[in-house]
Amino acid sequence: MEAEELSLLTRVRQGEREAFREIVVRYQRKVYAVALGIVKDRDLAWDVAQEAFVRVHRHLPEFKGDSSLQTWILRIASHAAIDSVRRERASSRQDIDEVREGDLAEGGEGILATALGSNPQESALRAELLSKIQEALAQLPEKHRTILVLRELEGLSYEELAERLGIHKGTVMSRLFHARRKMQVLLRRYAGLALPAGGEEGEP
Amino acid sequence: MSGPGCTRFAPMLSARPGELPAEEERALHAHLEGCGACRARLADERALDGLVARALLEEAARVDFAPFVDQVMARVERPRGLRGMLALVARHKVAAAATALAPALAALGIILYVSRGPEVVPQVGDVEVVSEGRGPVVLSTEAGPVVLLGDPTGPEGT
Repeated sequence: MEAEELSLLTRVRQGEREAFREIVVRYQRKVYAVALGIVKDRDLAWDVAQEAFVRVHRHLPEFKGDSSLQTWILRIASHAAIDSVRRERASSRQDIDEVREGDLAEGGEGILATALGSNPQESALRAELLSKIQEALAQLPEKHRTILVLRELEGLSYEELAERLGIHKGTVMSRLFHARRKMQVLLRRYAGLALPAGGEEGEP
Repeated sequence: MSGPGCTRFAPMLSARPGELPAEEERALHAHLEGCGACRARLADERALDGLVARALLEEAARVDFAPFVDQVMARVERPRGLRGMLALVARHKVAAAATALAPALAALGIILYVSRGPEVVPQVGDVEVVSEGRGPVVLSTEAGPVVLLGDPTGPEGT
C-alpha cells in the first residue's frame, strides 16, 4: 500500500472526517464507472456508488491493507453493483457458458481489427465505438456485463475472477469469450461493418 | 473458417501473459499458426482491448460529481438505527461482551439489593443533649448517637 494511502487510512481511523471525504473524491469516478458498467442505469449507478462508499466507511476498520485501497474499494463497489442486479442475474442463470461450434459460426472475425487498423479515420471510428460501448454493454446479460467490467476496469485475472464470481477458471474463460464476442458483434453493427457475402468469413 | 480446436482455443485468446499454464500456451500458439480465424479473433481482441474501461471512465468523467461526496457523508453520518447499533456492537467486541453481560449483572445487582433486607432507619429515642451552646448537638437514638452539625439554636435551625 502506498504511503499516501496509509496516511489517509490512519487519519480516517483517528476519526478525521475530512480524510474520508478525500477517499470518496479520489475514487468516486472509478467506483461509479464500475457500477455503471454492471447496473447499466446512470441513476442506479449513482446510488450504487454511494452505497459502496457507505460500505467502505463501515468496513474500513477491518481493512488490513493486503491489497491497495483502490483494489479493495472497487471490490466493494462491484459487490454492491452485483447485489443490486441479483434478481436479473437469477433470471439469466440458464445462460450457457460453454463454447460450442455454433458460437463460432457467425463469422466476421477480424473485421473490427481491420477497420480500426487500416482506416485513415481510425480515431474517428474508435471514438464512435467508444460512444457505443455503454449502449452495447447495456444489451448484454448481467453476467456478461459483470465479467467484462471486472476484467477490464478492475483488471482481475482469471483466478481472481473465478474466486470473485464463484465459478471455475474454465467457466471464466468461456464466459469472457461470450461476453467479448457479443460485444464485438454489437459494435460491428453500430459501426456499420457488414459481414462479407456468404456470412462466415474465410481465412484472412 | 473455424477449424478443429477453435472451440477449445478461442476462449484462451483473451488471456494475459502468464495466465495460461505453459502447456496450454504452447498449444494455443501452435493452433494460432494454423488457424486464420483464431488469428483474426485475436486481432479483434487486441483492437478492442481496454475499450470498455475507457468508455466507462469517459462516461464517469462527464458526470457532475459536485454533490456526490456530501451525499455520501450525509449517509455515513446519519444517526444509526437499530440495525446500525447492532452492527456497531458486532464490530466492538468489548462493547458486545458488556452488552451480553449487562442483563446478568443487572439481575445480580437486584438480588444483592433485595437480600440486604429493609434498611435500618435510626429511630430517635429520648433526646438527650450532650453538648450545649453553639457546638454540635448529639442526640441519643436506638441506633446509637447522632451528631447534628450547625447551630440548633440559631434563627433557621438545622
